Amino acid sequence: MSAEPAILVREVTKTYAGGFQAVQGVSFEVQHGEFFGLLGPNGAGKSSLMRMLYNKSTRTSGHIEVLGFDPLRNELEIKYLSGIVPQDDNLDVDLDVVTNLRVYARFYGLSAKATRARIDELLDFLELGEKKKAKIRELSGGMRRRLIIARALLNEPKLLILDEPTTGLDPQVRHLIWDKLRLLKKQGLTLMLTTHYMEEAFQLCDRLAILDRGLTVLEGRPIDLVKSHIEAYVLEIIQREASAALTYTGPVRRETIQDRVLFFSNSAAELEAIARGLNPGDFYLRQSNLEDVFLKTTGRSLHE
Amino acid sequence: MSDSRVSVPVPSLVRRLGAVWWRHVRVYSSSLFSNGIPPFLEPLIFLVGIGLGLGRYIVSMDGLPYIQFLAVGLVLTSAMYTASFENTFATFVRLEFDKVYDGMQAASLTAENLMWGELLFTATKGAFFAGAVLVMLSVFGLVTTPWMLVGVPLGFLTAALFGAIAMLVTSAVTNINHFNFYFTLFISPLFFFSGVVFPLSQLPENIRWVAMFLPLTHPVELLRTAAGGHTVFGPVINLVYLGVVIPVVGTLAVKRMRRRLIS
Repeated sequence: MSAEPAILVREVTKTYAGGFQAVQGVSFEVQHGEFFGLLGPNGAGKSSLMRMLYNKSTRTSGHIEVLGFDPLRNELEIKYLSGIVPQDDNLDVDLDVVTNLRVYARFYGLSAKATRARIDELLDFLELGEKKKAKIRELSGGMRRRLIIARALLNEPKLLILDEPTTGLDPQVRHLIWDKLRLLKKQGLTLMLTTHYMEEAFQLCDRLAILDRGLTVLEGRPIDLVKSHIEAYVLEIIQREASAALTYTGPVRRETIQDRVLFFSNSAAELEAIARGLNPGDFYLRQSNLEDVFLKTTGRSLHE
Repeated sequence: MSDSRVSVPVPSLVRRLGAVWWRHVRVYSSSLFSNGIPPFLEPLIFLVGIGLGLGRYIVSMDGLPYIQFLAVGLVLTSAMYTASFENTFATFVRLEFDKVYDGMQAASLTAENLMWGELLFTATKGAFFAGAVLVMLSVFGLVTTPWMLVGVPLGFLTAALFGAIAMLVTSAVTNINHFNFYFTLFISPLFFFSGVVFPLSQLPENIRWVAMFLPLTHPVELLRTAAGGHTVFGPVINLVYLGVVIPVVGTLAVKRMRRRLIS
């Protein structure tokens, strides 16, 4: 592996024709073999950044290198070496599973013989072996998603770019996909993904960046972000009546969201003391997680 | 820049265009029954209709039995219609509804590769449609000279021409219903004023030149020339027109579609 990063994004901006500034100066690096995640509310600029990596979208300013190539000049090389899973399902619905992959393999110039072997291997890998002759319309959402991932792996990519790979899928499929991606990691794959699922980011990503309104607000290892950007424990008081009855006025950080009150502290005992006197069903004491960090840094208002 | 740069074996332009073409062929032939039969049925119905009805009233036109005059043009109007539908409604559905191009753009293809490959397919489809009409014409004994077979490559060119024009229109359309205007105001009139249903020499002399700018005129005249019929403009003007308009409109259409494919 070369010393230079697999993906280098430096001061990148994107302003769309209508004047909307989707990305306003984002920088990050992804090392070879690393799994990197982009998080952020809708409109944060995640998908714009992903699309700029393979010239589906052009940057307004800044510098991008993917596997040593600039997408503005060498999109073909980048796409030849990468597998890309866009957000929307875009299989050829008129063709069956195998034909979808065969047609796609031609885009990479794969020989018929190599294609056959590769398709068998990938369908087995993603547990679609029994669906070879199935029409796309007969597949469940989870199967379609796996098929698109198989399609992205046809050319044995060094880099996999996944834009919200598991949105709308059931937990079984989601875990299956995570397991498969971890297997690919062992073979040296580099992965770049966007997701709205904190659990997914936490499970898969070595490092991640949280974007908001086109800017990076946090970057680091998921565990470190939780450790250093939020208190260790959260007390959630669910009942409005219960929270109204609450007499606590001390220094513990408090957040009020409509009907709920949240207290944050590094001391569980401190939160237990606050909860004393409340009915057992009215509150919930737990460890803080990435979602708490996410909401703290990007705010709770809707980004629409 | 890394050293891997020189060693990335991206497929050649020809192979990339061929792969796009192949994708369309596979999708088209996946419903062989519903896609393959109509090109033969349509001229059949048309010829039976004309033969039973209209043919009795018009004995000859331009020295030919009317049905034989009409037959020449029909070979190419079928290519015009199929190309026009292919690169308006079908292209729009691929672009906006099925997101087919999003999927293809994730492979090692450029937006330009996608569009040129698509035009290549449209042209091929036009040749197939023209061939289907010729088969039906021969059943009716209307293929009087083997030169009529020039209709197949001319079907290719006709479809390339109308595919390019349709793609240019599609690049500017945001609502699929707007294509109705294109068909009503542009394609349908061409059927009547391009020397298909009556000879252009019948047009008043002072407006005859307008027909020179109508795209369907030129392939139809070329096929008439091949079949030994009379023409107004002649093969040199016809070939120059096709040789200029197809690449110019095609390039413009692909360039403008690129803006729809890359944000």
